Parts: sequence; C-alpha cells; structure tokens
Amino acid sequence: MTVAPSPRFRINRHRRLAWIGSIVGIVLSLVGMALCWLNPTIRAPLKPGLDFTGGTQIQLERACDNSCGGLTTSQVQQQLAVISLPPEPGSRSPNLSGSVVQLLDGGRSLTLRVPALASEQSKALVAQLEAQIGPLSPAGTAINTIGPTLGSQLLRSSVISLLVSFAAIALYITFTYSGVFAFLALLCLAHDVLFTCGAFAWLGLLAGVEVDSLFAVALITVAGYSVTDTVVVYDRIREQKKTIGDLPMVQQVDVAVDATLTRSLYTSLTTLLPLVGLLLFGGSSLFWFAMALSIGIAVGSWSSIGLAPTLLPVLSRR
Amino acid sequence: MARQQGWFALILALAIAAGALVASFGLQLGLDLRGGSQLTLQVLPAGAIRSVDHEQLEAVKEVLERRINGLGVAESTLQTVGNDQLVLQLPGEQDPTRAAKVLGSTALLEFRSQRPGTEREMANLLPLKRQAEAVLASRQPRPQPVNGQASPPSPKVDLSAEDLAKALRGLGLTVPAGSSEADQLKLLLDAVNQRIVALYGPTAIAGKDLVTAGRQQQATGNNWDVTLKFTPQGGDNFAALTQAIAGTGRVLGIVLDGRSISEATVGPEFKSAGITGGAATITGNFSADEAHDLEVQLRGGSLPLPVKVIEQRSIGPSLGAENIRTSLSAALAGLALVAVFMVVVYRLPGMVAVLALSLYALFNLAMYALIPVTLTLPGIAGFILSVGMAVDANVLIFERLKEELRSGNTLIRSIDTGFALAFSSIFDGHVTGLISCAALFFLGTGLVKGFAVTLAIGLLLSLFTALTCTRTLLRLLMTYPALRRPTYFLPARQLPSAVA
Repeated sequence: MTVAPSPRFRINRHRRLAWIGSIVGIVLSLVGMALCWLNPTIRAPLKPGLDFTGGTQIQLERACDNSCGGLTTSQVQQQLAVISLPPEPGSRSPNLSGSVVQLLDGGRSLTLRVPALASEQSKALVAQLEAQIGPLSPAGTAINTIGPTLGSQLLRSSVISLLVSFAAIALYITFTYSGVFAFLALLCLAHDVLFTCGAFAWLGLLAGVEVDSLFAVALITVAGYSVTDTVVVYDRIREQKKTIGDLPMVQQVDVAVDATLTRSLYTSLTTLLPLVGLLLFGGSSLFWFAMALSIGIAVGSWSSIGLAPTLLPVLSRR
Repeated sequence: MARQQGWFALILALAIAAGALVASFGLQLGLDLRGGSQLTLQVLPAGAIRSVDHEQLEAVKEVLERRINGLGVAESTLQTVGNDQLVLQLPGEQDPTRAAKVLGSTALLEFRSQRPGTEREMANLLPLKRQAEAVLASRQPRPQPVNGQASPPSPKVDLSAEDLAKALRGLGLTVPAGSSEADQLKLLLDAVNQRIVALYGPTAIAGKDLVTAGRQQQATGNNWDVTLKFTPQGGDNFAALTQAIAGTGRVLGIVLDGRSISEATVGPEFKSAGITGGAATITGNFSADEAHDLEVQLRGGSLPLPVKVIEQRSIGPSLGAENIRTSLSAALAGLALVAVFMVVVYRLPGMVAVLALSLYALFNLAMYALIPVTLTLPGIAGFILSVGMAVDANVLIFERLKEELRSGNTLIRSIDTGFALAFSSIFDGHVTGLISCAALFFLGTGLVKGFAVTLAIGLLLSLFTALTCTRTLLRLLMTYPALRRPTYFLPARQLPSAVA
C-alpha cells in the first residue's frame, strides 16, 4: 500500500483552465449585478420580487374555458386605472395606474402587481375587475400582501443565518481538517453563491426574472451543497496521508480528485435529476427555484473538482 | 449472521410502524399546498413601552385568541414569531378581510363626557359629522341582499363639492391634489372626529369596566346596536357620569381607539341618580357584521399594544392542490430516474440502494406525521434535496466498494471496507449540512425554517438508512451463495483477473 497510485486524470494539469473559467464566470456575474444596479428600473444587484419590495400581488383565474374573450395587458391596465378603491383610515387610496399586469396560459389567468392594499381594497379590486373581464374562479385566486418592513426583515434574517452557518462550517472544517481547507471551502462557497446570483442578475436584466424568498432558500442550499461536495475531496486527501504516506501536495490532490471524480459527477447527476424533474413537470411556482438550485449545484461540483483542490497546493506551500 | 437478522427484523418493524404512522396520522399540509389565508401581525411599541418583550407579546396573543374564537373560524392557529410578531393561519379561509379588521384594531373603549363650555363648538361639529357619514355611506356599494330580501334604497344624501371644500377650509385642512371625493370626506371625518374627541373630558369608564358585550337589532330598520354590561364599579361610574351631564345638553361620547363612535345626550329625568342598572347601549347605526365584530372585540378586551397587519397571503384551494400535484409528480419522476441510474450503474447493490431509499422516503413521511411537520413548498424542496444527499451517501459507499473489488479484495471484505472507508466523508458531509440547518432554523424566518426542518430530518435519517439499511440488506443477501458473484457488482472487465 506504499506505492503511489498513478491517477488516470490529473486535475492539476488542467488547473489554469479551471481558474480561467471561474474568473471569467465571476467577472460576468459581477458585470451582470453591476448592470442590474445601474438599471434605473431595478437599482439593486438582483431584481427584487414582491417578498423584498412589499406590495400586493393578485393572481386570478378566469372561470371560462375556450369562450374567454381575448385579453391584453394594456386593456387590464386601463381598467385598473379607472377602478376606485375604498380608502383606509389614515391613508389615501393607492394609485393603480402603475400596476404591472402579466397574462398567463393564453389569457386564462393573470397576475397583478399593485401597491400594498388592505384586504378590503384588494377584495374591492377583484370584484370590480370581475365586472369588467368576466367571471373569475374563486378557487384559483391568490392574494399576497407584504408590508415593506417585512422584506428587509426577511433579507436581514436570511443573510444573518447564512453568515452564521458559514462561520460554523468554517469552524468545523478547521477542527477536523485545517484552516487552509476551511478557507478554500468558504472561497468555493462564495464562488458558487456569486455565480448563481450573477446568473439571476442576467436573467433579471434580460427576462425580467425576479428573486423571491425561495431564491434565498436556494442560495442557502447551494452553499450547503458546495461545502459537502468539497469536504468529500478533503476527506480523501486526509485518508491518503494515512495509507500512502506523504506525497507532494500536487500529487496528493491529483490522486484524491481522480479517486472521487466518479462519485462527484454521479452525485451531481443524481441531485440534478429530481431538479430537472421539477423544471420540466413542476408548477410555475417552483420553476425558478429549481433553476437556481440546478445552476448552483452544477457550479458547485465544478468548484469542488476544479477549484478547491487545485488551489490547495498553491496555498499550502506558503 | 444472527446480527444481520436482528437488524433486518428491526428495520422491518420500523418500516411497518412508519407505514402505520403515516396512515393513521396523515400529513399536515401548509397553506401554500391546501389553500387558505395567513396574516402576519406586527406588535408596535406605544407610549412608555419602547420595545415589545415576550410578556407583552403573550398578552397581545391572549386577547387576539379570544377574538379569533369569537369569530368562529375553524382550525385557525396563532403563533408568536420572534419578539414582536404573530402569525395567524386560517386554513380554507379565502377572504381574510374581516379577520384582518377585527384583529388589527386595538379596541380601546372609553366613555368620556363633554367638557362644560364647549357646547357651541360641538353644535357645529356634530351636524357636519352626521352629514359626512351619511354621504360616505351612500357612496359605499350596498352589500348583496341576503335570502332575496332587497335592502332598502339608501337615503338620498349629498354634499356639494363647494360645501365640502368650504367645510374642509373651515377646519384649516389642505386637500392633497387629485384626491377623490371619498378621500376628502374621509379627511373631513377624521378631522371632525379629532375635534370632537378634543372636547371630551378625561376617561371615566374604560373597557376593563365591562363584564360583557352583546348586540341587538334596532326596532326599526336594519341597523344594530351594541349592548354593554358593566362591572358594579363600572356601573357606579356610569351612573355618576350620566348624572353629571343629564339635562345639560352636553354629550356622553363613546370613544373607540381614539375615534368618537357615538355621541348621546342624557335627558333631565336622570338628574337625580344618573342612568343606573349597570348597562348601556351604543347606538352607532352598525350593520349586523359591524355590530358582531365590535362585540367580539369588546368581549376579547382591548389590546395592550397596537398591532399592524404587515403581511397577508391567501391562496385558493385549486392553486394549492395544483402545486402539490405538480411538485409531487416532478419529484417522483426525478426519483424514478435516479432509481434507474442506480440499478444500471451499481447492479445488485444499486437495487438494494433503491429499496433502502424507498424505506428512507417512508421514514421521512413518518417523521413528518409524528413531529408533526407542516409540509410547505420549501419543505418539499428540502426533502428533495435530502434525497439527493441520501443517494450521495450510497454512491460514496458503492464507489469505495468497487475500488476495493478492483484492487482484488474478496466480496465480503470489500463490502465491509467500503462502508468503513466511506463513513468519514458521509459523516462530514452530513454534519456540515446539519450545521447549516441549525443556523437556518434558529435564525431564519418561516419559509426558511420549513426548509431547514425537512432537510435536517432528511439528513439524520439518511445517516441511518445509508449506514444501517443498505448495509444490513446487502449483508443479508450475501448469505445466499448464489448472489455472491462479483459480476453482480462490477462488469467483468473491471475485475482483477485473479478473481474473475
């Protein structure tokens, strides 16, 4: 068992390529977020959804099959502009002319985004709209109102829980492995999270995709997955030190990555399969969530194969 | 051998117990899966209280619970979140308008008498208030007639634009540009109410002096009155209060949450003793629902601190059902593909893994029924992810097993070494996952919490199934010599020639 195995695949031969790929990806992500920030209609690194901006979102389903008359978004917007809502004590009736209207399923269901309404006002809005566009199915109605304070609260608690879990994971890796390992695991994690954010910044710019609280959940998951993936390679390196003794770090890493490569690819594949299922068959509510997870997990296995192990010899030498 | 059978019996027993648990308890579905409404209430600090503490939050919750019971919504739950928030869930309820209104108001009831020397001002304000109220009421859409009874046509009242503008100017109000007539009327009414309340003396009787509240329909018309019954002390105070103003023409004001909801004069016949008997009626021209809501609020007592509805989500049952159906079929389709993959790549152990993973899914559902966990969309996502981790554990083990076989170990030895060597990486991966879950659970909000719970349960169970179920089943199968063939584990060309 003292003979050093010769790996079929030497990751360190390709490390420049891996590094360049990651750097290009990160730069693109940062550019995407910067463009989002500069965009006058977004003004944030990612396009924030209802959960973060606050407001009321009303989802309606028309109670008609093929007999539904055609409906255009501008038609609905015009109708919204003339609707008058019962005022709430202490505040004026909200102005609905700037509302965002989205038609789904060929005009059969629609989503409205309006300023935050009290529940009586949203009820009145639905009733008055129903008079205009025909009967609605009450079972297909969803009304969400989120106060502006809740969004920032959600953001704060997500970021805090994310940072605390990073710190705890770093501590655990420092104790079971070493500080350099922990640093690289966190670097990979940041890489994966940044990459996913960047992809959604571009999606927000080009396709108007918004991030909601499920996106925050997806990022947290990507972070956890990234660490788990990286740790498997670390575990192999630690084990090799016992079985085949001390080798130069570069060789150590080559052997470990080669041995765990099949596992890493298979695991990413088996995790991606249910997600692809969600993408293809899941409801619209989970589509972008599954998308964020898929991107994050694909990038996560990239960084745990190509990034963390190849940076290890560079950092350990010092 | 005996040990394997012992483990196998245990796993079988657990599987049966899990099946029974799921069948008898069923799964609790969150509002996003079954439809319903959710309200988040923020408790606001007021007066001397700068920040809300746990005790005050509980006090608010107690009052709100009484009000919810008064409303009679089935299966509602009210939970405290963090230091200053409450979440109310109303399963099946599509229209949270009424609940939001009843829960959101403080319901601080005060009886106050008009101060002497303010009669002239009051004489100007009261007619204006009546007029504004009447015009506003006539502008409201009439409620749908019930049981075919047509509601009487609203009386024709009007306040011309000039008169309205004059009244607003008279009170020193500036009207924001572009506001509608209804907005202006509201503005006027708010201002008039403020002036009226300013003419009252200090609080003589408050909500705590009430024993109970009720409602009754007025003898004529469709309007309702709210009746009050005072404690003995409250009754004495009420008698004294009415005696003081009897026959003076000054009014007795009933003030709810700082708004004057009813003004009444007391006739000279009560000059000697005041109105005794410890009961009173608020004639506020309420509709049946308004009277009921006020009754519920007064019975429940006033809130020690004001609350504000900051989030309101309602989702129709068909949207919920659709969500669960599509998510379920998606998860199952993905898992079927994973099962095919495992059998193709790992052969016999792959089949064992599929069986073990099915048990794993069953155990998960049993834990959800047992704890109980309310399943939401993020919860399902957490479950799907934990399945990924559980599969990963099996992949790690089987890759090790293959490695051992390739290097020429015997089958039984390879299985044992495979499990032993894979353990540390499985353990580390699961522990880091659990660390994240702990952080998310203790620091995250509702959505994130649901995700953390199912992921954590999944990770703990995955440690158990990968290391126990898969192993026991594999060892048990190896007691049959017919199955002890390395080619059931690896393609023949990958085996070292010595063994093959």
